[in-house]
Amino acid sequence: MRIDDECDLHELLEEAFGAISPHPAPVDDAIRGGRVIKGRRRLALAVGAVVVAASAALAAPSVLHRTAAPAPASPGQPHYTVTVQPPGRGSPPGVIALGTINGQRWWVIADRPGADFTHPGQQDIVTEGPAVGAPDGSDQYLPPLSTAGSPGPVSFIGITSGTAQVQVAAVQANVSYVTVRLGNGTVLTLHPGSVYGTRAVAFAIPMRATITEVAAYSRHGEIAFAVPFNRPGGMAWIISWLRPGQVTAPGVSGLIGSGTAGGQAWSATAYLGPWGTCIGLDGGTAPGGGCFLPAAAGVITLDQGCTPEIAGGLAPAAAARVVVTQPDGTKIQVRLVTVGGKKVFAFAVRPGAKPIRWVAYASAGNVVASSGR
Amino acid sequence: MSAKLDGEFREFMHARWPAMVRLAYGLTGDQGHAEDVAQAAFARAYAAWARVRRSGDPDAYVRQIVINENRNRFRKRRVTERLTDSPPESVLIDMPWTDAIREYDERSALMTALQRLGPRQRAVIVLRYWMDLTEHETAAALNCSVGTVKSQASRARAALRQAAELVDGGRS
Repeated sequence: MRIDDECDLHELLEEAFGAISPHPAPVDDAIRGGRVIKGRRRLALAVGAVVVAASAALAAPSVLHRTAAPAPASPGQPHYTVTVQPPGRGSPPGVIALGTINGQRWWVIADRPGADFTHPGQQDIVTEGPAVGAPDGSDQYLPPLSTAGSPGPVSFIGITSGTAQVQVAAVQANVSYVTVRLGNGTVLTLHPGSVYGTRAVAFAIPMRATITEVAAYSRHGEIAFAVPFNRPGGMAWIISWLRPGQVTAPGVSGLIGSGTAGGQAWSATAYLGPWGTCIGLDGGTAPGGGCFLPAAAGVITLDQGCTPEIAGGLAPAAAARVVVTQPDGTKIQVRLVTVGGKKVFAFAVRPGAKPIRWVAYASAGNVVASSGR
Repeated sequence: MSAKLDGEFREFMHARWPAMVRLAYGLTGDQGHAEDVAQAAFARAYAAWARVRRSGDPDAYVRQIVINENRNRFRKRRVTERLTDSPPESVLIDMPWTDAIREYDERSALMTALQRLGPRQRAVIVLRYWMDLTEHETAAALNCSVGTVKSQASRARAALRQAAELVDGGRS
C-alpha cells in the first residue's frame, strides 16, 4: 500500500469504502422517523397557537389620534380577517409569531443565523401554514434580523408567501409593542419575542390588503410611526419612520422611465410620500421595486436576479445629470425626472460582471455625489 | 407531505443511500454505526424535505446532516466507549500473500489507520480526498477555517503514509 500523492489516497479510500455492501435503504423507517420529528415540531407549535382575534375595537385609543392621515382603504380592498399572536410558552426556539388569515393558520420561524451551511452569513426565515400557501414551509434566506443601520425602531422585511405578504421585523430594545393598522380598520398589536438574541415581530396579511400605519411604543408612549407605501396589488414597504405628531404630506407619483429589455416592455413609477421615495416596476421579466432610505441617493435593482434587470435611482437635489457605468463597462447618461421635488431615474441594466457605478454632476460640472468605491 | 414530495424523497433516498452509508462508514469506521447515522440523517432530511429540495443541492444538504449526526453521536458515544491505542484486530496478517488477502489487508490497514486519527482529521480525509471537496467546501462542512483543514489534512496524510509504510514493511 503506497500513499505517494492525493490520487493514491483517493484510490485507496475508494477501494476501502466501495468494498462495503450497505443493506437495502430503510426508506420506510426513515420516513417514520422523519414524521416523528415533524410531529414533535408541530406539537410544540400547537402549544402556543391559541390565537386571539384582533380587531379595530381592540385598538388602543392612543393609536387612533394620528396626525398623519392614514391612506384610505383602496376600492379593491378585499374582505378579510386576520389575527396574530406571539409564540406561547413551550414553543420551540425561533418561532416569531403565529396567526390566521380568514381562519387559516400561519406561523413564522427563524433559524439561528448562519445555521444553514448552504447560505453562510444569512438567516433562514420560514413561513409556514395553509394561510401563506406553504404547508411544508417556505424558506427565505435573508441578512440576519437586526435593527443595526435601520432608520427607525423597527426594521421590517417583506416576504411574499403564496397569496399573502409576511412582514418580519427586528425590534429595538426600547420598543414594548408595535401596532399595525390595516386598510379594513383592523389593528394588530405585535409583542416582540426574543429570537436567538434578537427581539422580533411578524405578521401575515393577504397580499392585496393595505397597511395604513405602523407605530412603535415604549412603556412611556409612542416612539415613532411609519406610513407604509402600499404598492398597488403588491406588498407594503415600511421604510421611513416619523416622529410622533409629525405632519405628513400626501403622496405623489410619476412615471420615470419605460422601454423594452430582453423583448419585455417595462415601466418604472416613482412614489413619494411619508414612506419616503419608492420606485415600482411594472412589466419586465417580473414586477418589482424598492425604496430608498431617507436622505439616501443611489441606484437599486428593481427586479434583482432577473435578466435583464431594471434599475432605479435617486439623485441628490443638486444633481443636473447622472452618468451610470453599466456592468459591461459602457457609460450612459440617465434621464432625470423630478417627482415631488426628488430627482429620480430608471434604466435597463446591461449584463456584465462589474457592479453598477454612478456619478452625479451639478450644472457647473462638478461632482456632487457618486457611488462608493 | 404530498404524495409527490414523498415519492421524490423515496427516489432520492434509494439513489443516495449507498453513498451516504459509505460517507458515514468513512467517518465512523463501523458499518452498523454508519447505517444508523445515515438512516437518522435521512429521517431528518424527510422532516425538512421541502426545505432540503429547495436548497438546490439535496445531496450536499444530506451529506451535511450525516456529518453533523456523526459528530453528535461521537460526542455522545465517547462518554461510554473508551478509545484504545491497540485496534481489536491485527493489522499485519502473517499468511500467504494472495491478491485478495492483500487487498483485504490493505483496506483493513487503511481503516485501522483512519480510526486512529482524531474525528476531525478523519472527516477531513474523507471529505477532501474521498469526496474530493475543495478546502473551502471541507471547511464549510466541518465549520472550521481553511487553515485548519490544511493543517489537519497534512497531519492526517502523514499518519496514513506512516501506516502504509508499516504495511509495506510487514510485507517484505
